[in-house]
Amino acid sequence: MTVPMTAGSQAAGDYVLKVEKLGKVYGGAIALRDVSLAIRRGTIHGLLGENGAGKSTLVGLISGQRQPSSGTIYLNDVPLAHSDVQKMEEAGVFLVTQEPMIIDHLSAAENLMLGIWPRRFGFVNWRKLRADAARMLAGTGIDGAMRAGALDAVARRKLNILRAMFSGGKVIILDEPTAALTVEDRKQLFDFMRRLKADGVTFIFISHYNDEILDICDAVSVLRDGALAGGSEDVGSLTSAQLSELVLGRGLVLFQRERRSFATDTPAVELRDIVGPSVRVPALDLRPGEVVGFTGLPGAGAKELARCIFGLTPVESGTIRFADGSATQDLPTSPRDAFASGIAFLSDDRRRDGAIGQMSIGANISLSSLTSVARSGFLSKEAELALSQRYFDAMGIKAPSAEVAVDTLSGGNQQKVCLGRVLATEPRVLILDEPTRGIDVGVKQDVLRIVDELSRTGVAVIIVSTDTDEITRAVDRVCIFENGTIARELTGSEITNDRLRGLEPS
Amino acid sequence: MSRTMTVAAKTPSQAGAKAGSRSALGWVLHNVVWIWLIALVVIFGLFNQFFFTVNNMQNIMVQATVLGMLGLAVALPLLVAEIDLSLPANLGFSSAIGAMAYSDWGLPWFPGMLIGVGVATFIGFFNGLCITKLKMVSLIQTLSMMIILQGALLALTQGRTITNLSDGYVWIGQATIGGWPIMPFIFVVALVGVGILLTRTVFGRRVYAVGGNPVASNSAGIRVDSVKIMIYTLAGFLAGIAGFLLASWQMAITSNQGSSYLLYAIAAPIIGGVSVFGGRGNVIGVLGGVLLLTVIQVGLAIISVPSFYVGMIGGFMIFVAVAIDAIRVRYFS
Repeated sequence: MTVPMTAGSQAAGDYVLKVEKLGKVYGGAIALRDVSLAIRRGTIHGLLGENGAGKSTLVGLISGQRQPSSGTIYLNDVPLAHSDVQKMEEAGVFLVTQEPMIIDHLSAAENLMLGIWPRRFGFVNWRKLRADAARMLAGTGIDGAMRAGALDAVARRKLNILRAMFSGGKVIILDEPTAALTVEDRKQLFDFMRRLKADGVTFIFISHYNDEILDICDAVSVLRDGALAGGSEDVGSLTSAQLSELVLGRGLVLFQRERRSFATDTPAVELRDIVGPSVRVPALDLRPGEVVGFTGLPGAGAKELARCIFGLTPVESGTIRFADGSATQDLPTSPRDAFASGIAFLSDDRRRDGAIGQMSIGANISLSSLTSVARSGFLSKEAELALSQRYFDAMGIKAPSAEVAVDTLSGGNQQKVCLGRVLATEPRVLILDEPTRGIDVGVKQDVLRIVDELSRTGVAVIIVSTDTDEITRAVDRVCIFENGTIARELTGSEITNDRLRGLEPS
Repeated sequence: MSRTMTVAAKTPSQAGAKAGSRSALGWVLHNVVWIWLIALVVIFGLFNQFFFTVNNMQNIMVQATVLGMLGLAVALPLLVAEIDLSLPANLGFSSAIGAMAYSDWGLPWFPGMLIGVGVATFIGFFNGLCITKLKMVSLIQTLSMMIILQGALLALTQGRTITNLSDGYVWIGQATIGGWPIMPFIFVVALVGVGILLTRTVFGRRVYAVGGNPVASNSAGIRVDSVKIMIYTLAGFLAGIAGFLLASWQMAITSNQGSSYLLYAIAAPIIGGVSVFGGRGNVIGVLGGVLLLTVIQVGLAIISVPSFYVGMIGGFMIFVAVAIDAIRVRYFS
């Protein structure tokens, strides 16, 4: 099924970018090994691979951010000697990173032409700037005069792509551009990319998602362990399962939870009368061992409710009662209170509020349960080590030891560290906000499996997710949020991808 | 499961040798403060044999005490990614309050001293409140507090130097055991105490977490504000003790007591590897920074560098230490 990449089958001029035997060594570790691939002009070329497979390294080399240890990059069949970002951008190769590089307080038009503002007598020629920007932005739905900070996620991505084009971009590398986008946004972005493709722009598109690759790419290359695992110039001939197998190097068994009905069980947790900023939920019960999915459009209340329950967002009212016979109490007012009453939460943004990067894996794992490994304020080295080692092993974190700084781990492993930290608190209620966002398909199965096992011990789990596939695979019941409240619930066989997707406006 | 990045087997011996020399250089750069310290001691000693005498070593230890206490205090807010510029001014102001409690209000010296340290601690606590609850920017808040306290000291003393300190009060600064001054002992106690607090306690772990990523720390169930307030309070307390020690050692409190320590007290922990961005640093580093600065000061005086040049040469030596450290961070971490 694998079609090895061969650059010679077509006229050489067809390929805008070729790399030959590209290699990169960091310290003693080989990050990239003899990767050769060719990218046809005016196509969207997918780049797929697990976290740490070498995708970022490869595009880092292509965009001139880093220098290859070996191999050659050809642009329009001209070999490029030592290059840097500036040279590559002059040559028309642009990298659009995950975090849109946008200056919030400037207007969309100013951002669009950042660094190349038209000048007149040494002053910015505002009229020309606005006119040029308006021309570029026509049909994109972006108002050039708008403050960039007020733009939504998809508009920001578009703005970055446009900026790359406007600066003369012929080859635009998009590093996971769909992260944090809704289904609708994604569709919009893809339409936009197709339009630009028709104008002759070439894209290198990095993604974790097979369906995205199959949807938009013309060709695909798959990296595994720093080497080219395979690829195809005809994506239409590939199936999702074949892609996954290429990515992982083995058949991937997708996790599927055996759904159970908990309707008659006594609730482990009763949530009542929750009123908070853009949330209004009169009642929600969680049963022991149940996994509940929260889904809905951004701002519809799924994420908001989760943050209220954990005490990250202050509420106007709201009570919680546990089944252990304790009295009804107000919702926690801080994460610390929440942990104390047995509620744990894993944030969707592990860079911002997940792990402490410079601290070790072990110190991160024990961070939320320090008092349990201490006596009168003094840490017990043995107890802490035992705790962190236990979760280091249980999570299957791939690192030489728990002493390693979290900074050095891939995204998926960082997420496992964060998961280990919240599980170490031995919660009664576990809330996971987009637990598998931005992590590769293999680690994703690991995470869902861990959650499944945990639920068997009687923990009630909430998974907040906009990934319908994840919801269908992991939960017993889905709460669909609209306008800040639970509009509908699906259970058992009602939970299907189609039904969940159909609820998204199209 | 071996799906992570493959680590290259170090087959060519060249790679091994390269890694070896790299780690050796890394070690040197990592311990640059201590190596630089030893080098300077040797150099100063070669210029003037007196530098190696017990007397001079004692002098360096005494000199290092006040700077050390202050450096420790400054390091604490740095660890939580904040700063406290008011600590040296706090030192001067609080010691004056303590001295006046004795001289003007007729209290015995010991309660007077405690009042001084208490005032210093409270000022630290107040700074912490302003920075956490009012969300004031620590750089500016403590800068204004510094100016207030310097002004208050001037107002208290009316520009005069307080010298009528009781024998009890000045005892700690003058006493010796077997010829060795006991003042440095206080610094050692503080160093060990803060060291244990930071590395062995739940609180210390939280300090590093808050410094590393305050948002994540909050989500992890740490009360970030409380940690910062505690840190500022503790820094104020240490400044208060430093104020007492300085007054006791000098047997005087000038109208700008402590102000001259400001830049050195900030430089010492940073030279010692405490990151201004928070979450990194330890007390051993602070000790190294303090000793380095003290040796430079004392050494330049001993080898009779004309006083016009002392500032410039001292500054240059600090610059070298900081530059080497920056190179280490740039290439080895």
